[in-house]
Amino acid sequence: MSPNGLSLNLIELGHFAAILAFVLACVQGLTPIAARVLRRPELASLTGNLAVAVFVLTSIGGATIIYSFLTNNFSVLVVASHSNTHLPLFYKVAALWGGHRGSLFLWIWVLTLFTMVLAFDGQSRYPERLPVILAVQGWLLAGFYGLSLFLSNPFMRLFPVPAQGADLNPLLQDPGMVMHPPMLYMGYVGFSVPFAFAMAALITRWKSELWIGIIRRWALIAWGFLTLGIVLGAWWSYYVLGWGGYWAWDPVENASFMPWLVGTALIHSITVQERRRMLHTWNIFLVITTFSLSLLGTFLVRSGVLSSVHAFTVDPGQGSYILIFMTVVLTVSFGIFLVRGRYQEAEETVTSPLSRESLFVWNNVVFTAAAGCVLLGTLYPLAINALNGSRITVGPPYFDLVMMPIFFIMLLLMAVGPLVPWRKANLIRLRARVVIPVIMGLVAGVLMAVLAWPVYWTGPVAIGLVGFVFGTLVVDLARAVLQRRLQHASENVAASVWRTVMGNRRHYGGMIVHFGILMIAVGVVGTGLFRLEKSVVMAPGDVVKIGNERLRFDGVRTFKKANYVALQGRLTSLDHGFVLRPERRDYGRQQMPTTNASVNSDPLRDVYAVIGGAVPGKNGVVRYVVQVYINPLVEFLWLGGLTMIFGLGVTLSHRVRHGARAVAAEAVSAYAK
Amino acid sequence: MRRFLFLMGILALLAPAFGATPSTGGRVVHEDALTRKELSIARTLRCTVCQNESVADSKAGIARDMRVLIRQQLRAGKSRKQIVAYFVSRYGDYILLKPRFDTVGAVVWILPLFLLAVLALSGWFVIRRHSRATEPPPPLLTEEDLARVRAARQQD
Repeated sequence: MSPNGLSLNLIELGHFAAILAFVLACVQGLTPIAARVLRRPELASLTGNLAVAVFVLTSIGGATIIYSFLTNNFSVLVVASHSNTHLPLFYKVAALWGGHRGSLFLWIWVLTLFTMVLAFDGQSRYPERLPVILAVQGWLLAGFYGLSLFLSNPFMRLFPVPAQGADLNPLLQDPGMVMHPPMLYMGYVGFSVPFAFAMAALITRWKSELWIGIIRRWALIAWGFLTLGIVLGAWWSYYVLGWGGYWAWDPVENASFMPWLVGTALIHSITVQERRRMLHTWNIFLVITTFSLSLLGTFLVRSGVLSSVHAFTVDPGQGSYILIFMTVVLTVSFGIFLVRGRYQEAEETVTSPLSRESLFVWNNVVFTAAAGCVLLGTLYPLAINALNGSRITVGPPYFDLVMMPIFFIMLLLMAVGPLVPWRKANLIRLRARVVIPVIMGLVAGVLMAVLAWPVYWTGPVAIGLVGFVFGTLVVDLARAVLQRRLQHASENVAASVWRTVMGNRRHYGGMIVHFGILMIAVGVVGTGLFRLEKSVVMAPGDVVKIGNERLRFDGVRTFKKANYVALQGRLTSLDHGFVLRPERRDYGRQQMPTTNASVNSDPLRDVYAVIGGAVPGKNGVVRYVVQVYINPLVEFLWLGGLTMIFGLGVTLSHRVRHGARAVAAEAVSAYAK
Repeated sequence: MRRFLFLMGILALLAPAFGATPSTGGRVVHEDALTRKELSIARTLRCTVCQNESVADSKAGIARDMRVLIRQQLRAGKSRKQIVAYFVSRYGDYILLKPRFDTVGAVVWILPLFLLAVLALSGWFVIRRHSRATEPPPPLLTEEDLARVRAARQQD
């Protein structure tokens, strides 16, 4: 149906490939069972080939959908409902995940990719358990494929073929939004890998020392994608949604935040298990919980049970399907966990309440509690409505209040944790290490209180804690660098710092991530407590003063782009000369118009403007509602996010020789028998 | 000469003021005195037709009408409490973004504390129980393990 008439209608080929992939995924799930029942162990090795085949077939399916978008094949329902001939090329590809059918397919596509990577990765490293792991992935795949093909089919055709398609949701026509869903999906789906390992381990009583190191990498990667997805989402809502906020405690934001919180607990507590061989059962619990929360996230977005800016309108059949699927996954996985969870006992013990491992336990307590609170706030309105019909709302003011003390405790633990050694801390030495950071924290807090007076008490407390954590990071690094310089006196300082960090990438990568979190904390305090905003009605020539910025409204113009009509206002800064051009875009076709904020950023503050509706004034002068904000330190949020990803990269670049680890781990497990 | 220098000095001092202020030509508009109050109340109320947005953030028509209503009541001299109570009487507790501490809402306020307490107690229990147990003897490698280690070393 492309304008040149040359388009091949490949969509049915893709549909066929997807159906075949679904069948093969079921086979992949059944193969190890068949191998066991038929006593033909060689059958199990088929799972690897099946994983590859499923990925290839799914890719064929995905490629035909993208091809249909590119060639404007409006006989395909998803193309007709999310794309039209005016849509720029970039967004035509991205339109794949613009609706629920396509985004579910993307979820599956990512899952098949990860499964295939696992199949190659496991061939040499854990061949005997690989079939079980792949079978778990196969069942998950089959479950999602079932949903996709039976209830939310992206290959669905539309006849008679419309001449033109509807538009992609205008809010999604933004580069940030294009990347946000795939990143989140990579995160959600990534946690399925540790889940499959944990299931396989429970079923086959696999010594966790043999796999915990492998899932650590997967969990870190998944966590990194989730972090990136969340930060991109915040960035997008700040720059595109146009109400100056970056986090609204929306149910769907919460849905991505919960697996992030439990995932954070997990990546910390895995370290305890690696170093001290404890918390085996707890880690498996965390793995299952993280993935369950990822599933819950998918469920909440898709089922339409929650009202959210992200919710797609879907038919209730899908909601029930996912609810049943989730119930099955939860029942089976937690059932197996309850029966088999204690298959491996801790081999070591906490020696002292003041040790790295016990602080990691507190980390886990706090992060789990945080996730619990978010879960409660998100689901309680649903539950109470189902129970006695009363309708209440749990919104941002609630979450801000409840989560704030929890974030403070997190910062405190982040400060103390890395200073405390494993096993048992020497109290006198610890006290000596803490002195400088505590002073730094106090100075930071007091300075903040004095300079920014009057300020809400949370500001100085948060900044004091940030100073404390920053102090411990500096002291920790300085100590190691000084130690190194005792032996390598000839090195210059920069080289010493570089080699210290590169010599222990795993540790310092983590510290860089912590530093990124500090930057985000500073950004949150800055925007939360020191934001200025004004909402005024302006005629051309009028000036609004906000903070020490005077902005002159120069009037509006309208213009047409390929896919929208824009009303653009112009504001000139009289003090710094920059120009802001906030827009309202009308995408036609019954779409809500969008407001596109215009921002002037420098490292310390954003001047942010939004243009609202027209107000008819006297003598025919049309005035406009203009909202201007000064958001201090917003850049810290994005820089902090990037720093976190960078730190994660540093951590992951630390590679352990697999052979060496496997030998050591086997020796350990042999001893444990 | 002295006077000239003095004049130049004055001019130099004033220069930034001249330079930085292009002809603005416009009057300075101020925010309506009620806007702050209106928005701060609107921020605690839920827009009833929206997908989880506050009345202050929403661009829907009803949210605009509700803001106008808030403003009218503020003009009429009503207090924040009275205005919120008015909206609650119209729409029920549903409209409050921060649930109240009553029979229905108390759960969300008490449960987080309860959760934190339970988790903290179990954390404490885990640490205590473990620290009371005695440490196992250091691992001994069997002959077979040693052979494996040797083999691995040779591979490297």
